[in-house]
Amino acid sequence: MGTQRLGFAEFYRESRDDCLRTVLISVGDQDTAQELVAEAFARACASWRTVSRHPAPAAWVVRTALNISISRWRRHRREVAVPDPSAVADLPAGDGVAGSSVDPRLMAALMRLSARQRQVVALRLLLDLDTRATAEVLGISPNTVMAHMAHALSALRNDLAPERQHESPS
Amino acid sequence: MNDDELATLVKTSVTDVHMTTPADQIISRSHAVRTRRRIPGLAAGMAVAAAAVLAVTALLPGRSATVRPGIHLSAWTVIKHADGTVYVRINQLRDPAGLQRKLRAEGVPASVVFGNPLNVQPKPCQWYHGAVAGLLPKVVPSIAPGQGHAILAIRPSALPAGAGVQIITPTDLSSIGVRLVSTSQGCTGS
Repeated sequence: MGTQRLGFAEFYRESRDDCLRTVLISVGDQDTAQELVAEAFARACASWRTVSRHPAPAAWVVRTALNISISRWRRHRREVAVPDPSAVADLPAGDGVAGSSVDPRLMAALMRLSARQRQVVALRLLLDLDTRATAEVLGISPNTVMAHMAHALSALRNDLAPERQHESPS
Repeated sequence: MNDDELATLVKTSVTDVHMTTPADQIISRSHAVRTRRRIPGLAAGMAVAAAAVLAVTALLPGRSATVRPGIHLSAWTVIKHADGTVYVRINQLRDPAGLQRKLRAEGVPASVVFGNPLNVQPKPCQWYHGAVAGLLPKVVPSIAPGQGHAILAIRPSALPAGAGVQIITPTDLSSIGVRLVSTSQGCTGS
């Protein structure tokens, strides 16, 4: 058990920030992401013998955090107290996301992507998963991952380009 | 900006984000997770209860435009609670006009688009420009896209005068979108 705990603690130390950043981009709110990732890591620790053999334990944590997010919302939906970060998709760029230290313009652009596109972007760029691993984590085909990634990058480029041009005096 | 520059921008944008929960707290929490798993039947019982709530919700007589007792799950369900919150569950991307009518009847100035909004001609809806940060989460406090369905809650009382809600689901229920639009005859019906 002591060795197991040591293994988990090391895994937590090495991957916690990447997992948090990945979930943050997926859900859009830093406090929520922190809470979800903490719970997901607790579950990983509780099943560490199994999770440690997973080909991508960090991806397991992220997937679990996203599943918890959905389950939690379903459980509490009647209370109407759970703000949905993706709702900021409607906000003009620059308004940002409450509780996030991320560049608000970029976060607003990310929030305008679909939830699936954000997940693909986060897994590919922040967890450095390849297309196949991303597809396995999300339960979709590699072709779909590539399509989501291409659309997401295109949308982000279009969304951010005018601001950059605006910032550059010609 | 090429793909590499964009990827770098995304990566560097979150470098200041750090997990602050101590490992000890995580490990301590994992004991509770393990204990919970050992209680036989608890999880199954909760699942049955949740399913029962869903079933009752879906079959409440007179609360839905399309659900009738004894008929299996419809394309969508609209329920208005006593506090005025309107809950929408979308199971299939069918009959957007019916959903739009039902929402308007429940007091939500609404526009519903299933499919690519770029294909909707003419484009009658304009963004609601009076929106301030945090308004949309008050109007739509919760939204849950999923594999087989999507659920969202709408509070009509939180809508300022001249604002309505547009629901856009371009491809599938995993990517439902909601935005505030200006009310008009062509967009929200009034």
